Amino acid sequence: MAEKEPKILSFLCNWCSYGAADLAGVSRMEYPSNIRVIRIPCTGRMSVKFILAAFRQGADAVWVSG
Amino acid sequence: MDESKCIACGACTEKCPKKVVDTYNAGLAKRKAIYVEYPQAVPLKYRIDPEECIYLTKGKCGTCKKKCPVDAIDYDQKPENVTLDVGSVILAPGFEPFSPAGLDNYQYASHPNVVTALEFERLLSASGPTHGHVARPSDGKDPKKIAWFQCVGSRDMNRCDNAYCSSVCCMYAIKEAVIAKEHAGDDLDCSIFFMDMRTHGKEFERFYDNAKNKSGVKFIRSRVHTITPLQDTGDLELRYVTEDGALKTDVFDMVVLSVGMQIPAELVSLSNKLGINLTPGNFCDTGTFTPVETSRPGIFVSGAFQGPKDIPQAVVDSSAASAAAAELLSGVRNTRTKEKELVPEMNVLGDRPKIGVFICQCGINIAGVVNVPKVVEYAASLPYVEFATDKLFACSQDAQDSMVDLIAEKGLNRIVMAACTPKTHEPLFQETLTNAGLNKYLFEMTNIRNQNSWVHKNNPELATEKAKDLVRMAIAKVAMQEPLKETELDVNQTALVIGGGIAGMASASSLAKQGYTTHLVEKGSRLGGQANNLFHTAKGESIPEKLAEMVKDIESNDRIKLHLNTELSNVDGFVGNFVSTLSSNGNEETLDHGIAVVATGASPYTPSEYSYGSDDRIITSLDLDKKLMAGDPALKKLNGALFIQCVGSREPERMYCSRVCCTHSIENAIELKEINPDMNVYVLYRDIRTYGEKELLYKKARQLGVIFIRFSIDNKPVVKTENGKLTVTVTDHVLQLPMELEVDLVTLATAIIPNTDEKLANFFKVAINQDGFFIEKHAKLGPSEFPTDGVYLCGMAHYPKPIDESIAHAKAAAARAVTLLARQKIFSSGTIAQVDQANCAACGVCVSICPYSAPSYAEKGRFAGKAEVNPALCKGCGLCVASCRSGAIHLKGFDTDQILTQIFEMDEAV
Amino acid sequence: MTKDMIGSVMVVGGGIAGMQSALDLADAGYYVYLVEKGPSIGGVMAQLDKTFPTNDCAM
Repeated sequence: MAEKEPKILSFLCNWCSYGAADLAGVSRMEYPSNIRVIRIPCTGRMSVKFILAAFRQGADAVWVSG
Repeated sequence: MDESKCIACGACTEKCPKKVVDTYNAGLAKRKAIYVEYPQAVPLKYRIDPEECIYLTKGKCGTCKKKCPVDAIDYDQKPENVTLDVGSVILAPGFEPFSPAGLDNYQYASHPNVVTALEFERLLSASGPTHGHVARPSDGKDPKKIAWFQCVGSRDMNRCDNAYCSSVCCMYAIKEAVIAKEHAGDDLDCSIFFMDMRTHGKEFERFYDNAKNKSGVKFIRSRVHTITPLQDTGDLELRYVTEDGALKTDVFDMVVLSVGMQIPAELVSLSNKLGINLTPGNFCDTGTFTPVETSRPGIFVSGAFQGPKDIPQAVVDSSAASAAAAELLSGVRNTRTKEKELVPEMNVLGDRPKIGVFICQCGINIAGVVNVPKVVEYAASLPYVEFATDKLFACSQDAQDSMVDLIAEKGLNRIVMAACTPKTHEPLFQETLTNAGLNKYLFEMTNIRNQNSWVHKNNPELATEKAKDLVRMAIAKVAMQEPLKETELDVNQTALVIGGGIAGMASASSLAKQGYTTHLVEKGSRLGGQANNLFHTAKGESIPEKLAEMVKDIESNDRIKLHLNTELSNVDGFVGNFVSTLSSNGNEETLDHGIAVVATGASPYTPSEYSYGSDDRIITSLDLDKKLMAGDPALKKLNGALFIQCVGSREPERMYCSRVCCTHSIENAIELKEINPDMNVYVLYRDIRTYGEKELLYKKARQLGVIFIRFSIDNKPVVKTENGKLTVTVTDHVLQLPMELEVDLVTLATAIIPNTDEKLANFFKVAINQDGFFIEKHAKLGPSEFPTDGVYLCGMAHYPKPIDESIAHAKAAAARAVTLLARQKIFSSGTIAQVDQANCAACGVCVSICPYSAPSYAEKGRFAGKAEVNPALCKGCGLCVASCRSGAIHLKGFDTDQILTQIFEMDEAV
Repeated sequence: MTKDMIGSVMVVGGGIAGMQSALDLADAGYYVYLVEKGPSIGGVMAQLDKTFPTNDCAM
């Protein structure tokens, strides 16, 4: 586990989780940097296509939050 | 602190040597002398506490000035007096929580495990000192048993002078107990010690019932006399007497004091200075029919200063106060506001993308972690990037000006900003684009501060790599961005109000006074609704007199078109452009209107309980009002009169409190006692709910000798007529014995039931709750409007309420409606869904799935029958886009290709 | 009479009540001075954890 950091792609809802991720910064929390965030207008926008595309692109995990 | 310079980076706080008690966390934590109250504070600007700052008190230190990267700290700032000319003033100064420090028997001042409810609120909060983990202040131990004491600083003339009920403490105590159990698990024992449980708000009774029966919160009807700390353990021993007279002792880990609301002394002196009358409880004195007017013309009041109240009621009052001010000032509207000048927009459609990339250093906030020059260099190497640079503070005025110049100079037609977060700064940068004549949607902002440099500060290399990735993803996305149009729609300036009761009339009157032609539709033959059946208000005003004034005011107002005996038979259209059909005696007419206010009221419940209908001495509250209005001489001759509360309310099939009946019965009990002081007057009740200063009426009734007897729902009173004798049998909880009372009149305080109108709900696409009342946009923050744009809600169609609250609600609905009408034109957002109709299979999934009813089937044209999206209604959530099986719907600004390209560009990540 | 009136309003207090009044008036075409004695707006509601009956986060 320690050798390979998983690559995580996250889709965050603009109105809640994206703001929460901002607050984590304001509160100076720390977390590993191997996560990339795509902001979406609502988790309603989420499509299976995006998740499959992410895995095909080599993501080890996809996180949808909203 | 120079607020215009502070960038809220927090460098000052980090190094400030002085620790201070954190009032935001109710004293449970420490903060620094230079601070921001909480991370989400608005404005997010740091402030120096002048009483605590070492430099300001002792002249030494100056650490924060040295650390501040933007030179925002100015120790020489002095308080200034500013004189403002205004047309009206709204007072919303709030309340202070009662301080229990003076109550020795509760040990608050001396024992850390006795906390106030506000302190407990901070212990529950994820942003609080324990991050939401409920820990006992004395030793950090997880409490196993917590007790709440109600009415601390309320309904108490012995240990404080607050005779009124604070209205909110019962509900917040239940909420705290339920949430504490959610956090700590079901083993946590939560007990609430109370006198009367007052859950009279919308959905509150059900919450109370669930707390008791599902969450297992214990409710003990007793006022605890003393708390004795058990030595060294931190535990607290409570001694109390139960209702049946038994003395009990129990040990708890923590005690929460449900402190009431109180008007601070400085507010009392401010009111005296302003010449504003106060009530006995020091709240602002208002009339039932003028609920937000102070005694001084032009000064209005809202929130807890008007009377102890919860959030939704405060929000209602506040909108009502703005309506009252706007009615006064409607002639000078828009005279003090300024219109913005617009720069003509360049047409870049079809041009090859020429992307400008700006990387913000944010002082050291980003540049201290991320290697910004490297990111700039990398960005410049990417496709379509015309120009890349960094900025010390991209949001500063000079940086904005230089961006406008660079857009022109380099011919940029797409912009990427890598900086803090779009949540706060996207609108600002978009405005810069607009000022440069570039469509504001040709912009993408990526987050390299809040979600990068701040959270990876110990990993600068990885943070730099992440910044590069994020910039690359943003560039790929913006390259596919097109200029978007915001559809402009006219807002019809006519209003429609449905329902001619107190709420409908007050709403129509406010809209008309603010200058709008208003159609008032009433299905009955007269105005006034249920108020026609009422005698007087809790404050003693005559309802028939005031109602007549209101009706006259409506009938004489040229801007109000009254439609009696009329109902709505159809509604088409949407916000700003409704077309309704009004039906009256078989005649139909159509009406174009921009907004609608639903004020369809509620009705009295006709009881089947308590032998109602079998004897004309068994009547309802409204029947008694009729007798009182008629001055019925028989009332004087009564030897005994009895009221039974909660008839049809707070029952399994109607799990809500009708809110007005306790006060109504008590008013009438007092009236009867005043007609004949020798009359025996009884009130049989479950909980007396005279919230706010209505509590004073309850006190007065007891002083006049009205006898209050409590019964429980599983042992209700029995009303009998035998040989002409009317008797009521009730089990007294103190004596534990059935008592038989012989009386001449039994008044049933019947429930208020909704006029559930599903047709209307369908017309406006709004929802009805399980009790049959309309569901507002938001229980706390949107009490006077619906989720459907342009449709507003007030009065008892929302929930049972007394006249003052109905009028405030009506004015609030009008105020909210005017915020839309005043715009005259509305613009849709650019980021909305659009149907490629050639590919649409007309399956209807989008039509059924959209929460805002934006998609519909086109009626005309080449694509009749295919889906189309109304830009005025679309909120851009993308639900329809994701559910469209044909891929025929596109969400502009977040189109499938744009999201996919970001996914593809992530490839080089990590 | 109308001519002497001023199309601006002062709202005293930046809690939930003051903020709502200020927003409504500004959106209706009046210039608003929102006066708050503390360094940020939000009042007591900002200190609350959750709000009943929906248990929404108060913040």
